[in-house]
Amino acid sequence: MTRTVAPKLAAYTALAAAGLVAAIALRLQELVVLAAPFALLPTLSLLLSRRPAIHVDVELERERALEGDDLEARIELDADAGADRLEVLLELPRGIGVSDGDDPVALAIAGDERRKLRLGLHCERWGGYRVGRVFLRAQDRFGFTSWEWQVDRRSPLKIYPREEFIQDLLRPLETQVFSGNHVARQKGEGIEFADLRLFVPGDRVRHVNWRATARRGELWVNEQHAEKNADVVLFLDTFTEASHGGQSTLDLALRAAASLTARYLQQKDRVGFVTFGGMLNWFLPATGTTQLYRLVDSLIDTQIVLNYAWRDIDVLPRRTLPPKAMVIALTPLLDDRAVGALLDLRARGFDLVVVEISPCPFMPAPSGEVAVLARRIWELRRDTVRGRFQEAGVPLAVWDEERQLAQGLEEVIAFRRRARVASA
Amino acid sequence: MLLAVLVAYPAAAGDRLVALVTIVGSTGWLLLALGLVGRWPLVLVWGLAAFGAEYALFLRLRGGSVDARAPYVAAALLLVTELAFLSIGRGQGSAERGLVARTVVATTAAVGGAALVGGLLLVASGSASAGLAVEGAGVAAAVLAVAFLVRVAARPRS
Repeated sequence: MTRTVAPKLAAYTALAAAGLVAAIALRLQELVVLAAPFALLPTLSLLLSRRPAIHVDVELERERALEGDDLEARIELDADAGADRLEVLLELPRGIGVSDGDDPVALAIAGDERRKLRLGLHCERWGGYRVGRVFLRAQDRFGFTSWEWQVDRRSPLKIYPREEFIQDLLRPLETQVFSGNHVARQKGEGIEFADLRLFVPGDRVRHVNWRATARRGELWVNEQHAEKNADVVLFLDTFTEASHGGQSTLDLALRAAASLTARYLQQKDRVGFVTFGGMLNWFLPATGTTQLYRLVDSLIDTQIVLNYAWRDIDVLPRRTLPPKAMVIALTPLLDDRAVGALLDLRARGFDLVVVEISPCPFMPAPSGEVAVLARRIWELRRDTVRGRFQEAGVPLAVWDEERQLAQGLEEVIAFRRRARVASA
Repeated sequence: MLLAVLVAYPAAAGDRLVALVTIVGSTGWLLLALGLVGRWPLVLVWGLAAFGAEYALFLRLRGGSVDARAPYVAAALLLVTELAFLSIGRGQGSAERGLVARTVVATTAAVGGAALVGGLLLVASGSASAGLAVEGAGVAAAVLAVAFLVRVAARPRS
C-alpha cells in the first residue's frame, strides 16, 4: 500500500503560509481570517484520516462464455477500517468490455461494512483471459492524501468463438477403421447398397436379395458399404493475419475451426489440429467431448507469432498427421511457407481442402494510381497461388465475413463432385 | 463564477486605485480559469493567490476599520478552492449518490466552519491589545501552523 500526498495539500499549505506571512507583513488581520481555513482544513483532515484496511474478493459468474455473451463479475469489499472515498477499478483485458455498471467506481465505505459491487462484462473477442486484478485508491474526506494498492484475485475466463452455421460437412475421400457416419468405399455392414454377389455359407438370410434370386434361380445376397468414421485434421495458418477494427482473419479461422471441430466430433469422427506458424503446435486426432474441450481450449490460445528463425520451413513433420486423414486448411494465403507446406501435404497424398480466409475485407481501399496497380498485381499473384492448388487437384473455397462458411463448403463439395465425374 | 463575484467585491467596495485592484483580481480570475481548463493545480494556486493579493491591496488602500465581511470572503474563497480542485479531477470513476451527498455535506460544513472561525478570529483580534509580544506570538503561531501542517503531511509511507 502506497501513501501519496495530493497536489491540493501543497496548494493549501502555500496559500495558508502566504496569507499568514502577508497578514503579519501588512498588519492586516483580515488576511489571517482568509488564510486560517487553508491551514485548518488540511490539518483536521490529515489528523482524522486513517489507513484503510479493506479485504477484496472477486468472483466471476462463470469460467467459460461464448463470444458476444454477457456475464457478471462480483467484487466484494470487506472493510475493517473504511475510507471516505474509495475508487475501485477492475482491470479488464482487451476483448472484454463493460456492459453494465461503472468501472472504475467511487464509493464510501465505513469500518466493518461489507459491500458487493456488480459489474456486467461483455465478451467481445474470443481468447483465454485472466480477470480479477483490482486497483484501489482510498482518499481522506477532502482528498489531501490517498492510499493506493492492488489486489490480485485473477481467475481464468475462457471465451469461445461463436459457432458458424454449417449445413453439410465435407466428406473425406478415405475413411478409418472404426464405425461412424461416413459411407466407406469398402464393403461391410451398413445401409448403403454396394453390390450383389452369390450366396456363400455363413451369409445371413436377411441379406438375400429375393428378386435377383428368383430371376437367376440361385441365391444372391446384397452387399453394403460400411459406415466408418474419418480422421479430420484442421490446419491453421498462423504465420500472419490481416486485421482491421478489432477483427482479423485469425478470428474467422478460429470461428470456423471451432465450428468444424464441434460438428465433426458430433458425428463420431476423430478430429485433430495443427497450427502452423511462428510456433508449430498440434493435437493428434481423437474423438469425444473431452477432445472437443481440449481442442477448443487450445484453439483459443492460438495467436500470431512472428518467427524469423523458421523462415525456410515449408514441411509439416510426418508425426503430426495420421495417414488417410482429411486436412482442412484455414489460411489467408498470405505467407508462402504455409502455401508450400500445403502443397507438400497434397504431394504426400493427403486429402486436402483449402478454405481461404479472404484478407481483402480487412484492407483499406487503394488510393492513387500506384496503389491501385500494386493491388492488382497482388491479386494476380493470389490468383496464381489459387491456380497452383487447382492444378494439384486441391479444392479451394474463399470465405469472408460477408458469406457463410456453409456456402464455401458447398463450393468445395461441388468441386469434389465434379472432379470425380471428370476422372470417372 | 463565484470567484468573479469575489473579485468584484473589492473592486466595487474600494474607492482608491480601483483600476489596479480590478486588474489584479481579473488576473487571478483568468489564471483560475486557465488552471481549470488545463487542469494545472499550480496555475490554480496562482489564481487564488492573485485574488488574495487583490483583497490585501483593497484592505491596505481602504484603511480604517476592520472589514466585517472578511469571514464571508474567506468562506467563499474556500468554496471556490474546493470546487476548483474537485473539478480538475479528484480521482476517477463515477461516484455513487451517497458519496456525492457526503461530499456536498462535508464541503458545506467546511465552508460554514471557515466563516465561523473567521468570525471568531475577527472578534478575538478586535478584543486583543496590540503589542510586540502579541505580534511575536502571532508570527510564531503562523510558523508553527505551517510547520505542523507540513509535518502531518509528511508522515512516513506505509
